[in-house]
Amino acid sequence: MNIVVCVKQVPDTAHLRFDSNDQLAQESLENVMNPFCEYAVETAVRLKEAHEGSKLTAITMGPPQAKEVLKRAIAMGADEAFLLSDEAFTGSDAWSTAFILSEAIKKNLPSTDLILLGQFATDGMSGVTGPALAEFLGFPSMTFCKKAELKSDTILEAHRETERGLEIYEITLPGVICIMKCDYEPRIPSIKGVMKANRTEIPVWDAASLGLSADKVGLKGSPTMVAKTWRKPKKEGGIKVDGSDPQAAVSQLIDFLRQQKVM
Amino acid sequence: MGEFIVQPTEDYKGIWVIAELSESGCLLDISLEALTAAKSLGESLHQEISAILLSATNQDTSQAEETLCQYGAQQVFSLKHDMLAQYQAEVYAYAISDLVGVKLPNIILAGSTSTSRDYLPRVAARTHGGFAPDSIALEVNAQGELEVTRPTYGENLWAKVVFPKNRPQIVTVRAKAFAKGEADKSRPVNSETLIPPLSPELPHTKLIQVVQGESKTGKKLEEAEIIVSGGRGLKGPENFKLVEDLAEALGGAVGASRAVVDAGWRPHSEQVGQTGKTVSPQLYFALGISGAIQHQVGMSSSKIIIAINKDSDAPIFDIANFGIVGDVFEVAPVLTKTIKEQNLAVSV
Ligand SMILES: Cc1cc2nc3c(=O)[nH]c(=O)nc-3n(C[C@H](O)[C@H](O)[C@H](O)COP(=O)(O)OP(=O)(O)OC[C@H]3O[C@@H](n4cnc5c(N)ncnc54)[C@H](O)[C@@H]3O)c2cc1C
Ligand SMILES: Nc1ncnc2c1ncn2[C@@H]1O[C@H](COP(=O)(O)O)[C@@H](O)[C@H]1O
Repeated sequence: MNIVVCVKQVPDTAHLRFDSNDQLAQESLENVMNPFCEYAVETAVRLKEAHEGSKLTAITMGPPQAKEVLKRAIAMGADEAFLLSDEAFTGSDAWSTAFILSEAIKKNLPSTDLILLGQFATDGMSGVTGPALAEFLGFPSMTFCKKAELKSDTILEAHRETERGLEIYEITLPGVICIMKCDYEPRIPSIKGVMKANRTEIPVWDAASLGLSADKVGLKGSPTMVAKTWRKPKKEGGIKVDGSDPQAAVSQLIDFLRQQKVM
Repeated sequence: MGEFIVQPTEDYKGIWVIAELSESGCLLDISLEALTAAKSLGESLHQEISAILLSATNQDTSQAEETLCQYGAQQVFSLKHDMLAQYQAEVYAYAISDLVGVKLPNIILAGSTSTSRDYLPRVAARTHGGFAPDSIALEVNAQGELEVTRPTYGENLWAKVVFPKNRPQIVTVRAKAFAKGEADKSRPVNSETLIPPLSPELPHTKLIQVVQGESKTGKKLEEAEIIVSGGRGLKGPENFKLVEDLAEALGGAVGASRAVVDAGWRPHSEQVGQTGKTVSPQLYFALGISGAIQHQVGMSSSKIIIAINKDSDAPIFDIANFGIVGDVFEVAPVLTKTIKEQNLAVSV
């Protein structure tokens, strides 16, 4: 079984800082592996461990420093990793990212059986890459998965959590699944794993090596573009009351709700 | 399966709303919200509004078609095929992409659901259209271009997304971000049944089983106008009665933080936040919830946020419209009792 996991480096959204123009202060961003990718790697490693003779490959598209998330994936259990990096890729939206990933997989990892991704990247919050990648490859796809198990060499059982409840699907491989939060937590890399990650060479694939022309990737190849960003408007100063006298606090709350015309 | 042939940008005209039906065959409210959003875009752009429905060959969709017309669709394209009886991303994506190739719509809107977010990225990939999910505002600028506002970076940063040249422009709208319009019962039904050319080779996925969510109140979190959520401050699953009682007195649904879902106190279907549901009710109560950023992501666009927490520095107070610094075990029962005794009703 040849498994690929796509991981993304994102700024840690819990520690964002803004500059005086209400733009993200880029230099202050602390980069981490997208939390949903952590679950995807964990799930991929579990699948690999359960299916002897499997190989797990991690890939990411990003700037040179995105190598860090590939190292983390290796430390968690991936066997090899490749960085897709080129100036020309800058500005790629999720559609274009999926296109570049699909070309890389077609060209360099053609015998892939299963691809795992995170459900969302916490920066763009789009959830587009996985199903779009599947469409480009002509594979089936399944989003919002929280568990995946191989039934045979070609059938994967995936648990999908939606508004309707838990849906259990069988997917005929090759296929793509996008992982949400699982019932298990991503493993913390072991010291041995980290040492292995530091030893492993991570080759870089650029646009030319993938046979991609510059007008098909990056900003030019992207159907969407972010024209402007701004900091989410703050909630107006809220009211805060002391609740040591519950009855008094509740009366104030009810008055507030009446003022707001909801009660 | 034939390749999709991309046409010049200016050939794409008209606005589509892909309507979604519930298990029982009713139109989802979010589809009517999307339709209302489409109507105002249609007025700005002087373009026709069409609704798209997908169903099994023998399913009676006449009620849904009538409703869609009453809410502003000038016509309904009702795609019928036995392969559409059970939702599958590949099949839906193919059926819709095929129609895109025939009719060349300029804009496609749909409610943001786990279904639309599953198949629409595939439609975008196939048709070379752009995709902007989970929008909270839509505008047409002075140049007549569509501008989509959507939250990014854990809801901290809002982004305006534009579509330089690729068509269709595919957008999903977040539940409750757009108000549902009024039905005009006098509008005639105009619907056309179409049979998409689906090949039996298409699907590679098979639904085996659906395990229903165990939500006790039976109310859907995403559609609720009032939500009462509880967190670890409740100390144990048995104390969620406090949360349920308040929800019941207010006629709302019960939500939860991840900490209590992970602890097994509540089902995942009730989890609000980055790895749970995104909600925007009129009223959101956070009881014993610290308000970590990952929780805020799922609820910060609620109209009015009310927090009860004994720690006056809890981050939930940064976004609460009304906060009570106090013990949830003392305050919540008094609130529930007062609402019941005084017969207070929430009008949302
Ligand atoms: C990748 C990732 C994804 C995540 N996704 C989600 C998500 O989807 N949803 C989510 O909710 N979280 C999510 N989290 C977890 C999040 O970071 C917090 O850990 C979680 O929200 C905390 O839940 P809590 O507020 O119930 O618990 P705590 O943080 O423990 O807060 C309990 C609160 O109760 C208060 N309290 C205690 N006793 C009382 C009392 N008697 N009366 C009143 N108040 C009291 C305390 O002051 C405290 O503020 C995620 C985290 C990560 C890393
Ligand atoms: N640049 C990238 N490189 C590799 N994988 C990516 C990249 N961007 C997104 N992904 C994958 O797609 C998932 C969803 O991201 P998105 O569609 O951007 O919300 C992520 O969790 C990753 O698994």
